[in-house]
Amino acid sequence: MTSTHGPIITILLVFLILTGCDQHKATTKDPSPKTETVTSIAETESEPAYGDMIIRGTIGDASVLLPVLANDASSFDITGLIFNGLVKYDKDIQLVGDLAEKWEIADDKLTIRFFLRKDVKWQDGQPFTTKDVEYTYKTYVNPKTPTAYATDFLKVKEFRVLDPYTFEVTYTEPYAPALTSWGQGMLPSHLLEGTEITESPLKRAPVGTGPYRFREWKTQEKIVVDSNHDYFEGRPYINRVLTRVIPDPATMFLELKAGRLDQMGLSPLQYTRQTNTKWFNENFRKYKYLAFGYTYLGYNLLDWKFKDKKVRQALTTAIDRDGIVKGVLLGLGEVAYTPYKPDTYWYNPNVKKWPYDPEKAKQMLAEAGWTDTDGDGILDKDGKPFKFTIITNQGNQLRERAATIIQRDLRRVGIRVKIRPIEWAAFLKNFIDRRNFEACLLGWGIGIDPSQIDIWNSKKTGERELNFITYVNPEVDTLLDQGAATYDREKRKEYYDRFQEIIAEDQPYTFLFVSYSLPIISARFHGIKPAPLGIGYNFDRWYVPKHLQKYHIAP
Amino acid sequence: MYADFLRRLARDKLAMVGLCVVAVLFFVAMFADFLAPYPPDRIDVEKILVEPSRDHLMGTDPLGRDVLSRIIHGSGVSLSVGFVAVGISTFIGVILGAASGYYGGLADRIIMRFVDIMLCFPTFFLILAVIAFLQPSIWNIMIVIGITSWMGVTRLVRAEFLSLRERDFVRAAVSQGASDLRIIFLHVLPNAMAPILVAATLGVASAVLVESSLSFLGLGVQPPDPSWGNMLTEGKDNIEIAWWLSLFPGLAIFITVMGYNLLGEGIRDTLDPRLRR
Repeated sequence: MTSTHGPIITILLVFLILTGCDQHKATTKDPSPKTETVTSIAETESEPAYGDMIIRGTIGDASVLLPVLANDASSFDITGLIFNGLVKYDKDIQLVGDLAEKWEIADDKLTIRFFLRKDVKWQDGQPFTTKDVEYTYKTYVNPKTPTAYATDFLKVKEFRVLDPYTFEVTYTEPYAPALTSWGQGMLPSHLLEGTEITESPLKRAPVGTGPYRFREWKTQEKIVVDSNHDYFEGRPYINRVLTRVIPDPATMFLELKAGRLDQMGLSPLQYTRQTNTKWFNENFRKYKYLAFGYTYLGYNLLDWKFKDKKVRQALTTAIDRDGIVKGVLLGLGEVAYTPYKPDTYWYNPNVKKWPYDPEKAKQMLAEAGWTDTDGDGILDKDGKPFKFTIITNQGNQLRERAATIIQRDLRRVGIRVKIRPIEWAAFLKNFIDRRNFEACLLGWGIGIDPSQIDIWNSKKTGERELNFITYVNPEVDTLLDQGAATYDREKRKEYYDRFQEIIAEDQPYTFLFVSYSLPIISARFHGIKPAPLGIGYNFDRWYVPKHLQKYHIAP
Repeated sequence: MYADFLRRLARDKLAMVGLCVVAVLFFVAMFADFLAPYPPDRIDVEKILVEPSRDHLMGTDPLGRDVLSRIIHGSGVSLSVGFVAVGISTFIGVILGAASGYYGGLADRIIMRFVDIMLCFPTFFLILAVIAFLQPSIWNIMIVIGITSWMGVTRLVRAEFLSLRERDFVRAAVSQGASDLRIIFLHVLPNAMAPILVAATLGVASAVLVESSLSFLGLGVQPPDPSWGNMLTEGKDNIEIAWWLSLFPGLAIFITVMGYNLLGEGIRDTLDPRLRR
């Protein structure tokens, strides 16, 4: 959930959520095998009880509460409580049924048959059937629907309803991310059929099948959801979830201290310096796990300075990434080398790492033709000095600080860098979309499925598409297509391993770091069990023992 | 006359305090490279948010940079923004005020209505809107502050001109066939210098404040260039654990603004014949 992210991840997910990571549950709930609970008092077992309310802080307000239209983490954070997909990831990042009871994949890997649960009801009492799935599918592939998640569904050749609880989808070619893609939130056809989805009142007052039902949304202030007593997995213990929008992390922290928040994501400084008091140890628990996302410095490959991969390798070699992890994240993160999350199955640790070495970087730049011929301390080539501007989104202090360290490191090898933080909307519209930048400091969320076609395929370079650095490598295109068409996990990994080697060699990005998610949660909440998928996966099983309950919410 | 003015100014203790503050600021800004113990952008990840100590008299910021050095280098930013902005606003104000006051009639009415219109806008929000269109940078800030704060000067200059143009020395100049420009700039304007000087001095103080506010909001001087305003932003975010990040840049702004205000008011009191003892 959003509140479990530091501001850095929230901002990257809010706006550039990967189209590949349809599994918003996965991306927003921060899974990692290395989850760690930091607490002084062990959680004592006690009787689960219904009741109480959890108040969570979030930096940004949701934009729309229908999963098909949403593309930011704040919205998915809420829709994840209200809607279900056909499948979901369990705590160990294994795909399991959610609204689907089971599924069968045909031997040719082209057809998948889903069997739906028969005991699922929409929150208004209507039964959930294949009619809803069909409507959802049609909405996603409708060119008039403004959704970022059509890609996976467009691969479907045929959608066949067999009976109210069984349906079949056929793909034109084997498509490994297919199963994952059905984790997208299902929409109620009886409320939406025949209406314009972008005009639907459900955008602000959704009806789903999930553990919580919508109650109230005050823009830029709060969103309230109440527990769904008829939830097919059983009534959730916590009666109400109140999500408060507090745009400033420092203010949010003060609210936490004042007892007006139960959960928020801490910044590295708050985690290391401000929450170690006795009061915090007694009243809160802190968690720490690698976020599903990374921060990078991307080079516009249309710019002549960055066309030579030798130059990009030298730039990476010149940047002290350990220093960034230490100075910006206070050690609460890891250096990134590939676009996959370390310690997940798909990560390839054996790629070229380009360790920090300013002298070697200078030498590499000299080999690429960049030397200081006029003695002004700035490298030049063909009479032009090596100067460029890094743009980043305004208000993300961690990114601005990382850029400052990069600026210093590159000055040491004779490259002058300017930093320009730009307000987000203008940043996307005037700079990223128009390819009007030299280098950008940004982040991506990492999906659980390894397919990253949208970011690296040479055909995804159109306006508003995600390969905005214009990375073109035919071998990568082939590998990613092969990876997507392969169901066999080990075979598939070979393709992605090779893909990571090529990316590490080409260095279209300088991969900077993967930071830790640092959620802090009031100690009165029990049942939180950190797992590879983070802590949010069993939110409906969190509870407050009767004697600790703080708010009395009528069920 | 000037000797008399200076003697009386020297007797005004508060004005002298202001003058000293301003002089010290100039000195610091000019010799920042020699005075600062460290380069302002020297990052040291081993010394993040260190309390004030002998090594770092005002502590360090979240990147381990020395706060004292950054304040010293920030003084140049504040002063140059103050002076350039006031230069622009005074220039516009004098031209429009002189035209309005000297010619009167239709020109006067048009200019004064324009002043009224400009005064209707809440200046700070006008600046915010303009900066949102342009990109925030130190140059844009100077220009924008300059072109949104000339109205006061215009009214002052107009008032001076209205009374001065009726004086005998102006009539004498007219009768001798002096051109309008000559009369305005060589005869009338020098006699109107005193209120302009006061307005300009006070204007610097408010320009410094506006620059700090804009930088505080992230719309002014862009990091990593140090400015007192953007240092305060970092201070706000860490106020619980690093008081020095808020206190020292805040004090710097306070002292600077107070210095200019004291000086400006001192000059005004000295020039005001009604307060003459």
